[in-house]
Amino acid sequence: MSAGFLTVVEAGSGQITDLGRSRGPRYGVPVSGALDQRSARIANILAGNDDRAPLLEIMALDAEFIADSDILIALAGAAATLRVGGIERPNEQPVSVRAGETIEVRQITGGLRAYLAVAGSFDVPRLLGSCAPDSVLGFGGRLLAGQRIPLTRATPPILNTHFGAELYRLNVPARPDTTTVEATDGPDIADFADTARRLYEEPYVVSPTSNHIGLRMTGILPERRVQGEVLSRGVPVGAVEVPPGNELLVLHRGRGVTAGYPVLAVVTTTALDVLAQARPGHTLRFRRVSEAQATERARAERAALDALRLRVRSVFTALDALPTSSGRTLS
Amino acid sequence: MPSPVATISASGNAALRVSSALEDREAGWRLVHHLARFIDDARVPGVECVIPTYDAALIEIDPVESSLERMRSYLESVIARLDADRPLTETPRLFEVPVLYDLDGELDLRMVAEAQGLSAADIVRLHSEPSYVVRCLGAPGGSPMLDGPAFPLPVPRLSSPRASVPQGVVSVAGRQATITPAAAPGGWALIGRTPLVVLDLDAEPFVPYEPGDLIRFRPIARDEYVSLLGTRMVAS
Repeated sequence: MSAGFLTVVEAGSGQITDLGRSRGPRYGVPVSGALDQRSARIANILAGNDDRAPLLEIMALDAEFIADSDILIALAGAAATLRVGGIERPNEQPVSVRAGETIEVRQITGGLRAYLAVAGSFDVPRLLGSCAPDSVLGFGGRLLAGQRIPLTRATPPILNTHFGAELYRLNVPARPDTTTVEATDGPDIADFADTARRLYEEPYVVSPTSNHIGLRMTGILPERRVQGEVLSRGVPVGAVEVPPGNELLVLHRGRGVTAGYPVLAVVTTTALDVLAQARPGHTLRFRRVSEAQATERARAERAALDALRLRVRSVFTALDALPTSSGRTLS
Repeated sequence: MPSPVATISASGNAALRVSSALEDREAGWRLVHHLARFIDDARVPGVECVIPTYDAALIEIDPVESSLERMRSYLESVIARLDADRPLTETPRLFEVPVLYDLDGELDLRMVAEAQGLSAADIVRLHSEPSYVVRCLGAPGGSPMLDGPAFPLPVPRLSSPRASVPQGVVSVAGRQATITPAAAPGGWALIGRTPLVVLDLDAEPFVPYEPGDLIRFRPIARDEYVSLLGTRMVAS
């Protein structure tokens, strides 16, 4: 029996993605994938999925879906109004959806990208092991109204249907500060001499031309003081560059993997998630940290997600064990 | 203690840049590619990917599963055992790439010629004379990154990059040259276009060449360009 489809009613600016194409850069292709990796992991964890499972990244605009079987969903990332069958439901919690009910993600605020995971995930094409779209290669793409995304399985409701109340309340780790971007000194910082410190002293405003390739920012820029051509070489996600023009460029997961610009600084792995939620017009400040501090932060965040995964598992295990008359519905 | 043949520097908390310190550029290029292949084959836990280029390799890691310190000492031990004199490819394949050079002034060939103090014919000759070694796969879409032709001067990048460079364009910048397999923004000077299709998304990898293979450009006229349009790029 087919597990059914999630049908896109209103596409907004959504896409099917995952944590990225880690084998891509070896072949000259960006890693891509969810820009806010932490929120994507949270959505998948709350849906009981593997962290790397395909899910939806919904950017800024409202989106609406409808499933033709009972499913379990979770929404994480930028705060949004989630309505299921017209009734408001919480963010960052597993939420049951009955077949035929609409799923609305509206008024994305306090960030730019929300992540919608479905328990069991989607059955979608992969390239080098990932479903993440790559606009240069022409693989994948934006969601389209009417598109039917194949589900891998249905999930019977785990909702108290009499009261509509949750049977559980999972405590999701708080979102990090969204105005401070931690970065480490880059390998070519000496090229910028004493102007490098401007990066950490001046405020920068996110430009509307920012996207998954990189964020462009205006402000008082560091200046490259060394002339000469640099041979193309691998640039890390998070590289802070000062290309010709009047903007700072912070490369994100859609970046071209090789470039010939000096790397002034590198945004930390956890701060890349902060950047993923920065909207055009937002003012950001960079804070200099050491590689060791950045790694400590990354490990603490991942440990918190590991703990969340354990709590989700125990909730699901407990609900599975509940005596019920029809499916897992309590009545 | 720095490795005598390479320097290793942090590029953020999730990547290390290994730069060759060898005098011989060819040996340095072989070193970073041997390193990349060794790490790929060893499937080192915590390594996300390796990007080897001309004289450097970027090693991206998961900072939760590995650490920069551990990876640095691992890389030092691997580099110490690599033989940078060993050829990268025993039998390199040769790809002949027909090019309709930009003699009509649609692209940047005239500008490149003027900056070099050469004629357009000189640019075509210098670009199509040598066999180029594919140094690495780069952006966008697995472009074959080559050494530049024997121009007297490095080629400046465009002051304002193009929003979209079409697929199949042949370009130069600095002391480098490439073919663009997929349309993308770009700041390199465009001197011609090939009718060949480079990308095949059903193949893995999806470009036909690998580092160490050879590419030679062959000037063609417009009628041959038209008749070859859409042909797949294969080794001769």
